[in-house]
Amino acid sequence: MGCGMGKSKLQLKKCERVSLSVPAATAIRAALLIQRWYRQYVARLEMRRRCTWNIFQSIEYAGEQDQIKLYNFFGFLMDHFTPASSERNLISHIFRENEICRDTEWERYFCYKDIEVPDSYTGPHLTFPMTFCGVSKLVEAFKHKQQLHARYVLQLLGETWRLLRILPNINQVSACHTKEITICGDLHGHLEDLLLIFYKNGLPSSEKPYVFNGDFVDRGKNSLEILLILFGFLLVYPNDVHLNRGNHEDHIVNLRYGFTKEVLGKYRMHGKKILKLLQKIFSWLPLATVIDHKVLIVHGGISDTTDLNTIARVDRHKYVSVLRPPKPTHHAVNGSKTQMMNNRNREAGGLVEGRRRVCSLTYHSSAPAYKHNLPRRSLHNQPTSSQLNWSVEEELKRRRRQAGFDQSYGELTKSDSDSDPESGETTETDEHEWKQIVDMLWSDPMPQNGCSPNEVRGGGCYWGPDVSEEVLGKHNLQLLIRSHECKQEGYEFCHNRRVLTIFSASNYYEVGSNRGAYIRMGPDLVPHFIQYQASRTSREFTLRQSIGWTERSALRALKEQLFVHKSDLISAFHEFDPNNTGLISLSHWASVTEKVLNLGLPWRVLRPQLVSSTRYGMVDYHQWIRELSITEPKLEISDNSILETMYKNHSNLETIFRIIDTDHSGLISFEEFRQTWKLLSSHLKTEISDKAIADLAQSIDFNKDGSIDINEFMEAFRLVDLSAHS
Amino acid sequence: MAPKKKEEPKPAAAPPKPPEPERPKTPEFDPTTITLEFTPEQIEDFKDAFQLFDRTPANEMKITYAQCGDLIRALGQNPTQAEIMHVLGKPKAEDMQTKMLDFDQFLPIHQHICKAKDCGTFEDFVEGLRVFDKEGNGTVMGAELRHVLATLGEKLREDEVEQLMQNQEDANGCINYEAFVKHIMAS
Repeated sequence: MGCGMGKSKLQLKKCERVSLSVPAATAIRAALLIQRWYRQYVARLEMRRRCTWNIFQSIEYAGEQDQIKLYNFFGFLMDHFTPASSERNLISHIFRENEICRDTEWERYFCYKDIEVPDSYTGPHLTFPMTFCGVSKLVEAFKHKQQLHARYVLQLLGETWRLLRILPNINQVSACHTKEITICGDLHGHLEDLLLIFYKNGLPSSEKPYVFNGDFVDRGKNSLEILLILFGFLLVYPNDVHLNRGNHEDHIVNLRYGFTKEVLGKYRMHGKKILKLLQKIFSWLPLATVIDHKVLIVHGGISDTTDLNTIARVDRHKYVSVLRPPKPTHHAVNGSKTQMMNNRNREAGGLVEGRRRVCSLTYHSSAPAYKHNLPRRSLHNQPTSSQLNWSVEEELKRRRRQAGFDQSYGELTKSDSDSDPESGETTETDEHEWKQIVDMLWSDPMPQNGCSPNEVRGGGCYWGPDVSEEVLGKHNLQLLIRSHECKQEGYEFCHNRRVLTIFSASNYYEVGSNRGAYIRMGPDLVPHFIQYQASRTSREFTLRQSIGWTERSALRALKEQLFVHKSDLISAFHEFDPNNTGLISLSHWASVTEKVLNLGLPWRVLRPQLVSSTRYGMVDYHQWIRELSITEPKLEISDNSILETMYKNHSNLETIFRIIDTDHSGLISFEEFRQTWKLLSSHLKTEISDKAIADLAQSIDFNKDGSIDINEFMEAFRLVDLSAHS
Repeated sequence: MAPKKKEEPKPAAAPPKPPEPERPKTPEFDPTTITLEFTPEQIEDFKDAFQLFDRTPANEMKITYAQCGDLIRALGQNPTQAEIMHVLGKPKAEDMQTKMLDFDQFLPIHQHICKAKDCGTFEDFVEGLRVFDKEGNGTVMGAELRHVLATLGEKLREDEVEQLMQNQEDANGCINYEAFVKHIMAS
């Protein structure tokens, strides 16, 4: 008893000791243990986050690359096939950018005056000239999900166009009136982010100047609303609101990334006109903004050839799409350096380990000489008698038969696209100018010194800290602010804090993937950051939860990519499984998957999440593909390979459809459908039989009236991830 | 007598001498003395992970000193900061962001850390927290834990502590530490 009492007393004493002060040594030891575990926990989360980020980013950039390849293909068609060819005609209109039309004729075309606003319209009414009240009303209306009537849209855009034409290429802004300037990065149609910025920071005004650094559109659902708001404020405060052009302010890019679809969806009758007017507006957006001659703001970045004096002098509106180089005018047939749209034929020249490469728009890596022997299109002095009437199919068959190219290839006559801006002979200068503009809108910084082509995106370059120093030094600047790349925290410094990336679309890849941010800058030109994340739910996630959410989404996207490449994967796996055991080693699994998908991802790190089990270190690859749990729609189609082509080229197909749908009705005829496939097959250099195409059309002719609804078609072929519903 | 005895086992079970996890006067880390015992499969795995941390667009297979610790931890080890500094050759603070390490330099470092005994188990971690369990009822005071983590040992920053403790405390500010440990280890 006594002992018992004694024991509990002792225990009590021990507890007291602990509550008053744990012996220092013990506490420290415990702390160390917890701290190292915590650091490990964080590091593992960080690894997962990076993987997820890489997945999203690679898929995103692969898409951009695809787009450029497709566009190059069209350029090639334009350059090398006769105007008589129907395929060329299908797409030639997208190159009809500078039609011989005076501005007054355009004004007539874009006139809104005949468009009546019915009494039943419940959206906002605008009066011109725009006022602060008017734009605020517009913001409110959009907040309440109202839609602006086409008449007002055209009127507002018309005013914007007129204003932009008198703005210089480089906006000059002053912060010295003790006014803080707000700088925003990519918005990408995320209206909720713009509204959040306005809520936290206030609306633009002469007391509250703003710079918006491009990429207002694409991906998000409210690109048009964002544009209308930004343009509205621009009209009211032209000296205090500054817009820079981004690489997505480009109608070719918009075809793929959703803006075109959004406009046509919201404005069935006048969408086409609105898009055309926006084309002009985009080409007239300024290219850069400079604050107090010290801070340069551009969307993408710089290169070792960037020269602001050159930029200040260009006719920026010549570049309706930045993807399109200036037309070569007088040109020798074997013009050497000025190969521009030659890239398609060079199959991603050599894989550098882990990175996808495609030859970029403006850089020409050394290629075998024969590929430079393509006849250049010449506008003048081409005798009509030598006009050849090859059809596209014959041409393509010939080309497929040959390894390279043949100089006896179809000569061209005068193209009926693009008018001559001026009788420029300065093609060298044009190209130099063009490269500067592409670089400004597409480039990304890299940690290493130097400057190399940005072959991941397909345009612009990667520039290093030495280039930053040089270019900033040359122009007496102290800071470069750019956007273009999504950042976890909404912003990021690099190059010794000489370069700052600002990105304003939160949850860009997925809910919880990243925060958005904007900059406030006073006369001292020191940037201050405000971060935010739209969507309440994501803010309540713990770090682990939000990484988990984003990760699941990324893995879904990745599984889709794996699925669409399953034939290629399986046949590649077979090469390492000569005895047909159905098993392949982990190393081979990783290297083959990378070779086929070409995304530069860490497959071994991802393996635990992609492959459920291994047998003695071997992967059962058939089972693995099955386990991806992706279902395809049940269709009766005789030829399965066409389905796979379709999944792999979902975006390409949609882009081509939208191009072909010239009246923007959302419907195409069977013949146009067939032509689309022919175009796609020649781009991909594969054979697609007419029967397969007919079957496909048959299976999805929902309207049963001979026309195909593009949206319905694309939806019907969307892949579904079964595991997403578990 | 009894209390004294109770105190003894603790130091033995814990990692070597507090507060420093390594014995004083340890010679400098010499990578050439390390024999690599990893299998080729493991090395491939490490390479993949290494590339994930490699931020050179030319894929030079290099990471900064600052990332070395994170990478080792991401691969499943949990060294202390001091151990990391030791294998990196006690670099200066400004070197952490600028000096680079390639894969061949990384391997012996990683090997050394892997060999270090006592990576800590679930039980160790729970023991470590039990120290703060005043009432012996399986919970610790969140406030006390925060204080300890931010002021002792290899201090965590305030935001790190916040992140660690997010959603762990109940209405009374207490944390059930076994559940807490499971949560940390579950990733």
